[in-house]
Amino acid sequence: MFVINCPHCQEAREEEEFHYEGEAFIARPANPEAETDDAWGDYLFMKKNPKGWHWEMWNHATGCRKILVAKRNTANHAIAGSWTLSEARKVYDKEQYDAEQATK
Amino acid sequence: MSNLELNLSQFSPVMQTPLQHFNLSAKQEKMTDAKGVWAHEMALLGYIHLRGNAQNKDFLTAVKKATGVDLPTAACSISVASAITMLNLSPDEWMLICPREQRAGLQKKLEAALTGIHSQVLDSSGGYTSVWLQGKQATDALQHCTVYNLHALTPNKVVGTTFGKASVIIYRLDNGFCLVLRRSFADYIWRYLARAAAPYGLGIAAL
Amino acid sequence: MNSNNRIKHQHSRVDLTKPLNFSFNGKSYIGYQGDTLASALLANGVKVMARSFKYGRPRGIVGAWAEEPNCLVQIDVGAKTTPDLKATQVELYEGLVAGRTSGWPSLAFDLKSIGGHFSRFMPAGFYYKTFKWPAQFWPLYEHIIRRAAGYGSSPIEADVETYDHKHHHTDVLVVGGGATGLLAALLAGRSGASVILLDDQSELGGYLLSSPNTTIGGKSAIEWRDNVITELQSLPNVQMLTRTTAFGLHDMNMIQAVELLQDHLPHNQRKPAQRRERLHRIRASKVVLATGAFERPLVFGHNDVPGVMTVSAIATYFNRYGVACGQHALILTSNDGAYQAVADLAAGGLQVTLADVRTEINPAWDARFKQLGIDVYLGFGISEVFGKTTVTGARLSKLNPTNAMQEMLAQGVKLRVINQIDVACDIVASSGGLSPTVHLFCHDGGRPTWSDESLAFVVSANSRANAGIYCVGAVTGVFGLQAGLEKAVETTNEMLNSLGKNSTASKLNLTTNEIARSPAQAIYRIPTNKKAFVDFQNDVAVTDIELAVRENFKSIEHIKRYTALGFGTDQGKLSNVNGFAISAEFLGKTIPQVGTTTYRPAYTPVSFGALAGAHVNDTFEPRRYTAMQPSHEKYEAEFETVGNWMRPWYFPKTSENMHSEDMHAAVNRECLAARNSVAMLDASTLGKIDIQGRDVREFLNRVYSNAWSQLAPGKCRYGLMLNEAGMVMDDGVTACITDTHFLMTTTTGGAANVLNWLEKWHQTEWPELEVYMTSVTDHWATAALVGPKSREVLAKLCNDIDLSPINLSPDAFKFMDWRDGTVAGVPARIFRISFSGELAYEINVDASYGNYVWEELMQAGASFDITPYGTETMHVLRAEKGFIIVGQETDGSVTPLDLDMAWAVSLKKPFSFIGKRSLARSDTVRTDRKQLVGLLTEDPTIVLKEGAQIINSSNILPPVPMFGHVTSSYYSAFLGRSIALALVTDGLKRRDDPANNTIYAWAEGKAVKATIVSPVFVDAEGARHNV
Ligand SMILES: [Zn+2]
Repeated sequence: MFVINCPHCQEAREEEEFHYEGEAFIARPANPEAETDDAWGDYLFMKKNPKGWHWEMWNHATGCRKILVAKRNTANHAIAGSWTLSEARKVYDKEQYDAEQATK
Repeated sequence: MSNLELNLSQFSPVMQTPLQHFNLSAKQEKMTDAKGVWAHEMALLGYIHLRGNAQNKDFLTAVKKATGVDLPTAACSISVASAITMLNLSPDEWMLICPREQRAGLQKKLEAALTGIHSQVLDSSGGYTSVWLQGKQATDALQHCTVYNLHALTPNKVVGTTFGKASVIIYRLDNGFCLVLRRSFADYIWRYLARAAAPYGLGIAAL
Repeated sequence: MNSNNRIKHQHSRVDLTKPLNFSFNGKSYIGYQGDTLASALLANGVKVMARSFKYGRPRGIVGAWAEEPNCLVQIDVGAKTTPDLKATQVELYEGLVAGRTSGWPSLAFDLKSIGGHFSRFMPAGFYYKTFKWPAQFWPLYEHIIRRAAGYGSSPIEADVETYDHKHHHTDVLVVGGGATGLLAALLAGRSGASVILLDDQSELGGYLLSSPNTTIGGKSAIEWRDNVITELQSLPNVQMLTRTTAFGLHDMNMIQAVELLQDHLPHNQRKPAQRRERLHRIRASKVVLATGAFERPLVFGHNDVPGVMTVSAIATYFNRYGVACGQHALILTSNDGAYQAVADLAAGGLQVTLADVRTEINPAWDARFKQLGIDVYLGFGISEVFGKTTVTGARLSKLNPTNAMQEMLAQGVKLRVINQIDVACDIVASSGGLSPTVHLFCHDGGRPTWSDESLAFVVSANSRANAGIYCVGAVTGVFGLQAGLEKAVETTNEMLNSLGKNSTASKLNLTTNEIARSPAQAIYRIPTNKKAFVDFQNDVAVTDIELAVRENFKSIEHIKRYTALGFGTDQGKLSNVNGFAISAEFLGKTIPQVGTTTYRPAYTPVSFGALAGAHVNDTFEPRRYTAMQPSHEKYEAEFETVGNWMRPWYFPKTSENMHSEDMHAAVNRECLAARNSVAMLDASTLGKIDIQGRDVREFLNRVYSNAWSQLAPGKCRYGLMLNEAGMVMDDGVTACITDTHFLMTTTTGGAANVLNWLEKWHQTEWPELEVYMTSVTDHWATAALVGPKSREVLAKLCNDIDLSPINLSPDAFKFMDWRDGTVAGVPARIFRISFSGELAYEINVDASYGNYVWEELMQAGASFDITPYGTETMHVLRAEKGFIIVGQETDGSVTPLDLDMAWAVSLKKPFSFIGKRSLARSDTVRTDRKQLVGLLTEDPTIVLKEGAQIINSSNILPPVPMFGHVTSSYYSAFLGRSIALALVTDGLKRRDDPANNTIYAWAEGKAVKATIVSPVFVDAEGARHNV
């Protein structure tokens, strides 16, 4: 029963308007035939399923029918932000980069 | 197929609205303050789905050439010009609503203007109907039906949102709301709306 | 029993000029407008109103509102009956019929009262210990326990009332209309913010309504309340809802609340168009919790005798309802909060004895009590209450005067009783302090903290301000009125500032006439050797908690479940904190170390009707109809739901003697009409997606397993859609309109999913592909005209398409072609495709004309006895041809190769289509997977059960190896025998091996012998549709 800001409709909408579309940024292998069974199985079935912050896709089903990305805390349903796919990618990549720098 | 026309020489085709069986026109009356909610079906309008890239100037120009008005490109905006109401449904999707008899001509003009431009123009007239809603308690009645924050639905704005367990497109004008609903859900949505409006008194408004 | 306890009280909210007749347990009484059922019963001298849950002990009213643990009542009769309401929350109306819920098997004689004499045999964990074994008898025990448990009866008729939901969005939601809630709403309202104020009672004001002698700003509290409400009513941005209980606080400040709209009205004043209850779902930017507190009783010997109550309850009945619960009240307190009530009762003419566990008293109060003639015992507690069905007196025992109880326990000293005094009285009331109503605050993750100062679990005013939740008043542990109001101004202004608004407290003088409070004493139970109850509703006594601890339950969550502390309809509103404190005592821990149990929604019970709202009867689920519905009704179709669609299932004919065909007769007739003449199916429900753009062919190549590069305009092709795991997900026929324009059809149930699926791949993986796709499912109405005579029927209505037979005109309208034209004068797109194996045309028209065209086709076909058919016949016809139904032959674990449909998989396409890689996984390439085959029973009259297990032998001695199941099974009138489809392990090989093609299909205790065959039962060479 939370609220998601749709970056396409540009306003906050109730969760009932959206469909969950799974973890974001799982890229389809460019050449599936080159993947081993194990690697392909990981792509198909292995999800992060974290307790805490999670990057995930939502479809604004009753509205614009566009996919968006939200960074949501699975433990308390807080949402840090939501973006179009391309904007989200930039934020996500920066977050990954910053995390990498921090561990160095 | 859009260039095929009704063959009226041998046949007398009859159109039916998805709310036909409620026989609303027989129940219509003059609007008064005695009822909080007034509704009626705006039956058998023309509906055209338009898809295209709003960043593409050629697309916008072509649409303007065909319709005579600017396509509403801001999120959730509408334009009401002469006989055509244009609803922005998503960044690349619009619905054009016009009198039924103007649909074929408008579609032809759009298709001609958009030749060679990535777009989609579709006749959706069979797939939709509209219900007009006004009255002192029209907002209250809608609050029973949709999770959308109706205070945010200011005049000349359109949203796609929930309606009971289905969904509708709702746009607002100065004096009321218009629900745009899919044909197959029309029975459910009308029943749901009528049930929601019952405590306030529901009247079928004479046009 | 008939004594009248009603008094004339100048501030009473009860209108003595409006008497109301009501009945309780079959006896008639008179109450007044403004009464609750509880106040009216107390006024009538009714003391025993319930029997306790476990021991059947007589119980009376303890509280005045939602905290009431004992007096659950059954209200109304027949379809309108409602069980388990608290008598304290039921508003009285003319003609109200109420009854006791507890006390099966009879009201007069309660079997369980025998249990009371044997209570030592029913300690904590009694049910767990007694009814654990043997397990198979649990259903029997459960039945008896539930019946004896004393809860009410659900109505057995359908609910005649209606309910709805209403969605709100507001800047500020204030929960609780007591003093601080009213003030917060007023300040928020003055700031211009949109405000909703909720209160669960019939009138706003909260405890102010029970405090007529309190003044605020020099005016009586009630006058202050009236002025605030008048100003709130004048503000258009403020909405006030009474009789509305906020029962849940969820993510991001979504509050759910139930409003009772009609239950307080006599039946003849209830409006049929109005709802009984309304569920409000309120999304608030900021929430102000002014939920107040419930008074906590002290625990002492025989504290459950009817007539033992809380002090605030006695004061409420006296001041608000004008009911004196007795003549002589003994009040026991550990805090100053009870003093005003003591003074009110004495001033109102009752004889009052006050015992305070503390040894000192504020001189200002002492003087007032002396003046009022109140006997005061300092340093005393009640060790035992006398009386069985009503209080007759109590024994006061002197507590050790030198040490506070907690300190002594910490030192390991046993409390010692020095002397005792017996007091005659007919009411006993106690106050152990206040327990803040922290429930809502905790529902979405907040935790209360223990305050040694307030002696309560409290929440702070702004600890959750970043989540938009603010708290004012008693819930924060500020129990003084003036302090609460002053703090509420501060907190509300902080909340308004966070909204970018500000308000003014002008014209608000918040000075009260309260006497400064002395510290309360931390004490929860008075030492006694008598049974002392902590939780009345669940009959949990001090000894039960002691036993649970002795049996090594250490977590409060475990102690709760072992003893049932805080279970039931009151959810421990009175008992929890005492339970936590007493557990702490036995565990040798502090109360904060023990902590609280978890507070979960709902705060108070919510009816199923309110939760269902409009989702009942004909608005239960969306029912989708096609344009041909008027005709289907005319031809008296039976319907089945497919997805949300209402589809004709079959069309039973009624003979002249009014005998209606059963389904089998109708389906046999419909099938033969399709095979032998002409029949018609409404196929409008199939999903239709219009796809346009330069890259449509490439897009289709990626999302379908078969190839789309070569399909010419004017042609159709069957398409098979897989998920990325290689499993069949959907199928349908897709037509090439032009090189950049295709029309896809999907299954009826899969339409929405497929469109989302396509959009998702386009948006996330291949945004560079130029395609737009839009659903046109509702736009097109589709009539499938099927059978050898279909061409002749269509020809009558269609003069602009060449329909001549293919053998005469090879270039005309061939199988798997589509054409545009007009049918009965209406522009149409006709697909010559077949889901039956017969010559067939699927005629698509603008749905506005759907019913007209359908009726024209019916007329045109009349000379061939054209037969409308439904989904059942559709299933038989396609099964005769071995055509799959996705979701029937497939279940998400079936590949196209399992279906023997390698012809629909193009491995040569350059792009690795969705699901392709998975078809090469070690598991999917196994040749002995379950595969689709046909089955013919040895006895042609037996129709196998769908879902029957495939086994290899008729010997069904377990363990029986299973080799698949029957997916579809019908009687084929055309073949004159039964047919079936099945998924069978290694089925393709077994089909071709006469030595190994016998199986048994097992269902409902029977194994039926059958032979594995090809799934195509009719016209394997396709001659019937190629005409
Ligand atoms: Zn959106």
